[in-house]
Amino acid sequence: MANRTAQRPNGQTQGKICQFKLVLLGESAVGKSSLVLRFVKGQFHEYQESTIGAAFLTQTICLDDTTVKFEIWDTAGQERYHSLAPMYYRGAQAAIVVYDITNQDTFGRAKTWVKELQRQASPNIVIALAGNKQDLANKRVVEYEEAQSYADENGLLFMETSAKTAMNVNDIFLAIAKKLPKNEQNTGQAGNAQGRRLTEGDTGPKATGNCCK
Amino acid sequence: MTVGMTVDLLRNSQLKFGAITFFAKQHKGDTCGSNGLPLTPNSIIIIGRAQFLKTINSPFLCEFLDVIRGKHERTIVVSQYCGTPLANLVEKHTFSHLQIKKIAYQILQGLSLLHSLKIVHRCLSNENILLQDNDNIKLFNYGLYYMTDNGALVPFPVLDVLYTAPEVYLNGPNSCYPDPKVDIWSSGICLAELALNKSLWSSLNLGQRIRKILSLLQVNSSIFEKIAREHNCYETYLNLPQDLKEIIELCLNIYPSKRPTCNELLSNSYFNDFKLENDERDRKPWRSFDIFTIKELYHWWQLTGGDVYQELKKQGLIRSSPPILSLPSLVLIEGSLLGQERNPATLYDPRIVQMPLDMLYQRFAHISLPAFYPLIHCKSEIISNADPPPYDATGLPLVIKEKDPEYQFHRIILFRRLLHGYPFTKDLIIEEAQKDIPPLLRGEIWAALLNVNSLYKMDYLRLDKYSHTTTDRQIEVDIPRCHQYNELLSSTEGHKKLKRILKAWVYKNAQYVYWQGLDSLTAPFLYLNFNDEAKAFACLSNFVPKFLHKFFLKDNAVIIEEYLWKFSQLIAFHDPELANHLHEINFYPQLFAIPWFLTLFSHVFPLYKILHLWDKLLLCDSSFPLHIGLSILTQLRDKLLTSGFNECILLFSDLPEVDIEKCVLSSMQTYTSTPKSITNREYENELFHQKNELDITGVKIEDLKKELCPRISPNDVIDFVRHRPEKALFIDIRNPTLFLRCSLKDSINIPFSSVSFSEKLLGNLGPHCNLVKSKGDKVVVVIGNSDTDLERFPKFLLQCNVSRVCVLHGGFNVLIPVTPTVLQSGMPT
Ligand SMILES: Nc1nc2c(ncn2[C@@H]2O[C@H](COP(=O)(O)OP(=O)(O)O)[C@@H](O)[C@H]2O)c(=O)[nH]1
Ligand SMILES: [Mg+2]
Repeated sequence: MANRTAQRPNGQTQGKICQFKLVLLGESAVGKSSLVLRFVKGQFHEYQESTIGAAFLTQTICLDDTTVKFEIWDTAGQERYHSLAPMYYRGAQAAIVVYDITNQDTFGRAKTWVKELQRQASPNIVIALAGNKQDLANKRVVEYEEAQSYADENGLLFMETSAKTAMNVNDIFLAIAKKLPKNEQNTGQAGNAQGRRLTEGDTGPKATGNCCK
Repeated sequence: MTVGMTVDLLRNSQLKFGAITFFAKQHKGDTCGSNGLPLTPNSIIIIGRAQFLKTINSPFLCEFLDVIRGKHERTIVVSQYCGTPLANLVEKHTFSHLQIKKIAYQILQGLSLLHSLKIVHRCLSNENILLQDNDNIKLFNYGLYYMTDNGALVPFPVLDVLYTAPEVYLNGPNSCYPDPKVDIWSSGICLAELALNKSLWSSLNLGQRIRKILSLLQVNSSIFEKIAREHNCYETYLNLPQDLKEIIELCLNIYPSKRPTCNELLSNSYFNDFKLENDERDRKPWRSFDIFTIKELYHWWQLTGGDVYQELKKQGLIRSSPPILSLPSLVLIEGSLLGQERNPATLYDPRIVQMPLDMLYQRFAHISLPAFYPLIHCKSEIISNADPPPYDATGLPLVIKEKDPEYQFHRIILFRRLLHGYPFTKDLIIEEAQKDIPPLLRGEIWAALLNVNSLYKMDYLRLDKYSHTTTDRQIEVDIPRCHQYNELLSSTEGHKKLKRILKAWVYKNAQYVYWQGLDSLTAPFLYLNFNDEAKAFACLSNFVPKFLHKFFLKDNAVIIEEYLWKFSQLIAFHDPELANHLHEINFYPQLFAIPWFLTLFSHVFPLYKILHLWDKLLLCDSSFPLHIGLSILTQLRDKLLTSGFNECILLFSDLPEVDIEKCVLSSMQTYTSTPKSITNREYENELFHQKNELDITGVKIEDLKKELCPRISPNDVIDFVRHRPEKALFIDIRNPTLFLRCSLKDSINIPFSSVSFSEKLLGNLGPHCNLVKSKGDKVVVVIGNSDTDLERFPKFLLQCNVSRVCVLHGGFNVLIPVTPTVLQSGMPT
């Protein structure tokens, strides 16, 4: 198992270890990379570099007696990189679709992503909608209620977040972790070969499932 | 050749410089701009604006050299500073009327140039008019008002009380309108002091001086006369030539609108004497060539350890106060700080610190005069070999060479000459650039290597950089994320320029679109040509077709796919063990190398590394980036070989320190040792890669993606057979009958059907297996024909960790028509 999982806090050694592939989608500059950076390293860079292609990071959190390891694919936001996106969301068990609460177009784009995921991704994928840059609420153009009701209609988790102040960043990942099925033979198998390729690897041949005792 | 002469060239009385320092306005607390990003610090905005001043060149202006940023918005301006301020001479020296006329003329010439560039001096005074040994003057500190955005970026008024026009006080010193007429008034006061040979109101304090100037508004008769009377100089006044009096009077008009402009004054008959001289200068079609300028001198001075900041500290202009004194008196709960103001007296320091040049003179004392005039073209070997190279630095690491003042002296002297002769010296520039590129001239050298031609400015001028397009939003969100640790690129000017260049590029290249990453790709060019946007654009425009042909097509999937596949093949070719491992863990270039190749590493490395990488890239072809990629993997090889998928991909999400010099060396090494056709691509630009029937063409992407080992062209194979047979091992996998009938010279026969591919054992190759095992770094060329399986055999070799395996493109039959023949028949001897 990856050494990251060994650094469990509280000396917790018992319990299940689950591995999930999560992908971040959304228009450029809404703060996807910043959310991941905040979640994984607890940092925020004002001048966060743009993402080309995609970036991969991992982070582990504890949920009761389960250790959840997220394998996170942070994708490029520009529409042109769209053709690469399926490579990353195929086989993903979770997705965070991000928009910027100060920019209406990014919300529209988020809805398109949700639709695409509902059509193309694994049927059981857990989708969360994140209204980022909550710290700029005085410049808000997307109302909380509007996004909330859209999320309700589509069965999405929803939170407004701020990568800058860290508000709701851990919470949204935690909420996803809670919602993900943690039984032995779970949805992770569903992805096709190309998608699975991204989650295989260091887990070695034994880790064909996403969960192991 | 005496030692003294060399230093004389350097020890020119005008080649001296000094610095002033001040504080830029500090932003209050944690304020954000409209895009949610923190406001750009004013000192950075100043740095961006000040760059333009570097381009100004006039005999009557001190050359602007540098602006440096210290802590807490401290800003340091370095500029030529030489001669004696006129203020030091007033009352101590008598100026002849002719001398005054000349000074007046030169002041106005200097101002006229500034005003034509929309720059207002605003603090012109006899303190910063410097009289030179040759009796000419130079204006100093004319850039302060401009670089501070007409004073808006600094917490102090930009003016010199005594010389400031009355309307400035009336409008309030913080009004930021750059009116050139204020300089005319100041010139009038300067000239009045010279004409009367009197420092005006020198005994008065600040407030009294301002009152005096405002009192001039009440004068109904001649202001100059009034000034003269007040200073008991009426006698002198009466004896002044009428036309001089008139000029001063014109300048001291209290109504800015009635004050003449520089050019109006210059056309006054008073200056007739100088007109002829002026016309003559204008007629010269080119500027004379300087062996070096004060800019180079400043650079060498820095390399010999010159440090402006330290010098200011030594001379007491920068003092650090104990931290406890800078604690705020009150911190509000939401974080704003109160009572932390800087002592206003320290915001602007009028003192000028001259930089000592002795270290430089000493260090360069032994450089001989001919070194200033390097031999460039010479048909006679005897002459060109007569002198040993002036300074041998071969073998020294690049970083050392770049910091070695003497080496940089020789390189810069030489490259300045070569660049002056461009484009006729293109070949020599390439040859020298292969050794190394002096950082000071990198921008120009790159432009030469990229064939930027003399019309680039016109080309750029013609392009639309302003109309709104659908790409604007993307460009706007990318620019504030692009190499923002760099002062120039993070400055407001930098953002504007980058945006214009990108928009111009998208406009000009209708066949292409803006892909994220193009911003990073442009950044090095803008950084190097910050004052020549058009050149930055021209460099980018010539760079893309050469190295990234078709990469920015709207649908670039095939081009990228092909490039990445060639990358995999190159890894397999040079490092089968690594290739096999990466393949096993499903670690494909698609997952990490797209930003590498799409931006030629400009998105993954900091600027200083990109510069060194591209120094070499520009001398190579579009396959070089593949070799850079390979060398990065090679540097991380041990880690990769022992890691699984997650560790590997994490390694690249946050690229660890890559030793760029090592990287450059090893990529050069594989680049030169790899047969060219190994990295051949279908989508490379034919302009740079001309092909004939013995090259590789027409490989479809679907076919390519079945091949783990690269193809080699018949041309390269023929080259091996004829010139370097010892460097290759030719394996003919056709059946023995065909082989015996006719085969490539020196080839061996391992019939395809005789090998069992079930286990990965080289022994399965049969009797020839030892030849393969002991082949060393020979290239293994697999030769087959349409009946043989050209995938399994090379794949087998690859899986057995045999390096440098490739497959002859087109199969054996393409070699038949080659003349003179490379074939043999019968049993090989
Ligand atoms: N004020 C504020 N800015 C943010 C926040 N998240 C990201 N940003 C900024 O928005 C810009 C784009 O962020 P980035 O993470 O690169 O977006 P991405 O393209 O979606 O990955 C960067 O300049 C970030 O500093 C946030 O929560 N609040
Ligand atoms: Mg990003």
